[in-house]
Amino acid sequence: MRVAGKGLARAKELYEERGQRAKELRVEGRKVLGYVCLFAPPEIMHAAGVLPYRLRGDPREPITSAHTYVEPLGCPYVRNLFDQDLKGRNAFLDGIVMSHSCDMVQRVYGIWTYNNKPPFQYFVNVPHTLVPWSREFYKRELGFFREKMEQFAGNQVAEIKLKESIRLYNRSRALIRELYELRKLDPPLISGTEVLEVLVAGMGIPVEEFIDLLGEVIEEVKARDGGPERRAARLLVYGSVCDDTTFVRLVEGSGANVVTDDTCIGTRSFRHDVPETADPLDGLVDTYFDDFMCPRTDRGTDIDRFQYILDLAREYNANGVIMYIYAFCDPHKFDAPDVRRYLEQAGLPVLIIDDDYTMTNLAAIRTRVQAFAEMLR
Amino acid sequence: MSEPYSEMARAVKSTDTVRNIKKYAPTFYARTKLREQEGKKLVWTMVGVPPELLVAFDMVGEWPENYGTLCAAQLIATGFCEEAEAEGYANDMCSYVRNTMGYLRRCREVGGVPPEAPLGGMGNVHLLLGSGWVCEPRYKWFQAIATHYMDVPVFNDDPVSPAWDTDLEDPRIAEHYKTQLRATLKAQVTFLEDIAGRGLDLDHFRIIMQRSHQAMKFWHETLELRKAVPCPMGSEDYYTAIIPQLYLLGTQEAVDFYQALYNEIKARVDGGQGVIAHEKYRFSWFGIPPWFNLGLFNWLESLGAIVCVESSYYVKKPPELDFTDPVEALVDWIWQEAVERQKESTEVLPEVVNPGRFSALVGSKLVARWIEEYKLDGAICHRLRSCRASSLGEVHFRNVLAQIGIPTLIFESDMTDPRAWSDAQIKAQFREFLEMIDASRAKRGGRG
Ligand code: SF4
Ligand code: SF4
Repeated sequence: MRVAGKGLARAKELYEERGQRAKELRVEGRKVLGYVCLFAPPEIMHAAGVLPYRLRGDPREPITSAHTYVEPLGCPYVRNLFDQDLKGRNAFLDGIVMSHSCDMVQRVYGIWTYNNKPPFQYFVNVPHTLVPWSREFYKRELGFFREKMEQFAGNQVAEIKLKESIRLYNRSRALIRELYELRKLDPPLISGTEVLEVLVAGMGIPVEEFIDLLGEVIEEVKARDGGPERRAARLLVYGSVCDDTTFVRLVEGSGANVVTDDTCIGTRSFRHDVPETADPLDGLVDTYFDDFMCPRTDRGTDIDRFQYILDLAREYNANGVIMYIYAFCDPHKFDAPDVRRYLEQAGLPVLIIDDDYTMTNLAAIRTRVQAFAEMLR
Repeated sequence: MSEPYSEMARAVKSTDTVRNIKKYAPTFYARTKLREQEGKKLVWTMVGVPPELLVAFDMVGEWPENYGTLCAAQLIATGFCEEAEAEGYANDMCSYVRNTMGYLRRCREVGGVPPEAPLGGMGNVHLLLGSGWVCEPRYKWFQAIATHYMDVPVFNDDPVSPAWDTDLEDPRIAEHYKTQLRATLKAQVTFLEDIAGRGLDLDHFRIIMQRSHQAMKFWHETLELRKAVPCPMGSEDYYTAIIPQLYLLGTQEAVDFYQALYNEIKARVDGGQGVIAHEKYRFSWFGIPPWFNLGLFNWLESLGAIVCVESSYYVKKPPELDFTDPVEALVDWIWQEAVERQKESTEVLPEVVNPGRFSALVGSKLVARWIEEYKLDGAICHRLRSCRASSLGEVHFRNVLAQIGIPTLIFESDMTDPRAWSDAQIKAQFREFLEMIDASRAKRGGRG
């Protein structure tokens, strides 16, 4: 049963309802698995007939329950996810799947599943270095994951089904890229906040419905008057998982347009299609192991490994970069000084915001963003 | 009770062997001079890389993290950490890393070794041999050094560790992980062969591996002796005695050192001699110690408290191995220990596949067993603000131990950066903890 809203209104509704659609589908008999990061490819869950539901934190809600089980010194995003789980927000799920995106996730996975055992749990392991044997390891992991999904769902994941899922997800990627095209204009036709609402909405509904939603949104945005105002500051946001609009809204309320990003839910997830390879797992390895630009993967020591960020900024005519990084996020923090140096040398000013996911220092962050936007005028 | 120890105190060691460790491991302590004299290739490396490989290729190693402990002990680390922070490395990042980055920044600034650097600095590095074991900061660290400060070859190994609920009894899964371990170790060997310009001499490597095995056996047996009451060795000795295990495995020096230490501790146990005559409290310790203040352990002993077992760097009993193919023996050793560790419940210890063959944290089942075997009254957790790998999981341990009635103290500071130390507050926490144990004993009418 789909609700009345369409396009952007529908996206906003889904964004705010947090899992409403997944709950409806569950009632209709669909199995729903919560997952944390794309290293456990949603294509594989989809091919087994499962609805992959990307878990969300809630920065508006302080962590309370998780403190009983895990210390405050760790990724605030992952702790927030765990906290939400402890508070029963995931009660509608049939289980959870996590992957070794980073150490934090694996550690919290252990503490989480030990203390608040879900009906089903699975962990996809991921090596760190881009070498042939680590790729092979990851490919075998995906094979095991596929088997596990077959057992869990009671459905065979035939090659043909997996290929079909990959095609569907690629279709959604192509549409997201089309939507992002509309941000290249000056002013952009759609705000960063709206885009994030659409992307987060898509994380919780079947890909088929997401494809429809994207189509509606693109049509609506192309036709509308009254998108974002023209601003001198056109920004790229770089950083960790951004699954809430508070930060982007703050930036856009501080005299800037957010025109693109290098974040997990943003461009990292759709820049590259999954190649349609003879063995579909090979394509998934290409995309999720090689091309997914999370700094948790060791891409060598050449500073040009950051060139893709510059390319992105140029493609979208961004004239400044905000690096939005969570406390204790080692993968991003190690790269930060070099990313900054690289971009600044190329003439792109950079502002680093170190946050605890809940933006407790909202006023201070706003002041810094305003000053940065001001500087770009 | 009088407290004769200053705020930041070096440890007073209790054993002769550890006090004289420089006699057993002269090449380690004279390493700066040696590398100047010998002109060998200098490798910066880290724990998690099998030290036997450096021995096999006759390369001189420097361990930036060990250098961090040295800078910490000499109270130089704060300056280096601040330098790193000025360069953009955030203050919640590993303080070993910040210490290194700050040192390198100072080197760049002064065009050579900065005068404040202990031991004449870390030398001119030719290659970086890192490891992805235990934490992301480790491979990101060497990656960042080679991106930010110098252009040298880097190899980071990639030993993937299973999640706590992975079924290692399934032969397919075991082979899956072992294949990765073997491949990453072999690639490490190939990298070193290319640099050294010669192949790995298997006969020589076999001897190195056998020495390593012998040393670790002595060391493990020494740790077992610490179950005795009174405890014959405390953390003030332990945290120096780990040096050969971490950095010198494969050398005869390491064998001799652990054999001597074993003999000394065995004689103590046989003679009923403990570090302190009247033990009031026996503890286990979790996490890396505050290197700038190892005197803390002496202070605890002055209160009748002894640490009998530590989770960091803990060494299990080495398995029996077939050394015919010494590389495969290494793979086997690492893997067999990983399987054992996983059985001990590794919900907070994801890094069981450790080429260095020691622990960071330990599993909750093992902890419960330790409580019995070491007759512990409680656990002390050092929460490190800058190291998630050894801190995240302590609350979980506290919960597990609470279920069997064992109290845990968690106090916060850092391994390298003395800015995180607040003496009065931390000591007050310790005193309160001891009083709490007294009170609960009084209630139960138990020992005290
Ligand atoms: S990469 Fe960073 S933000 Fe993402 S889960 Fe890991 S620590 Fe958290
Ligand atoms: S385990 Fe901790 S101390 Fe060691 S390198 Fe990693 S973050 Fe640093």
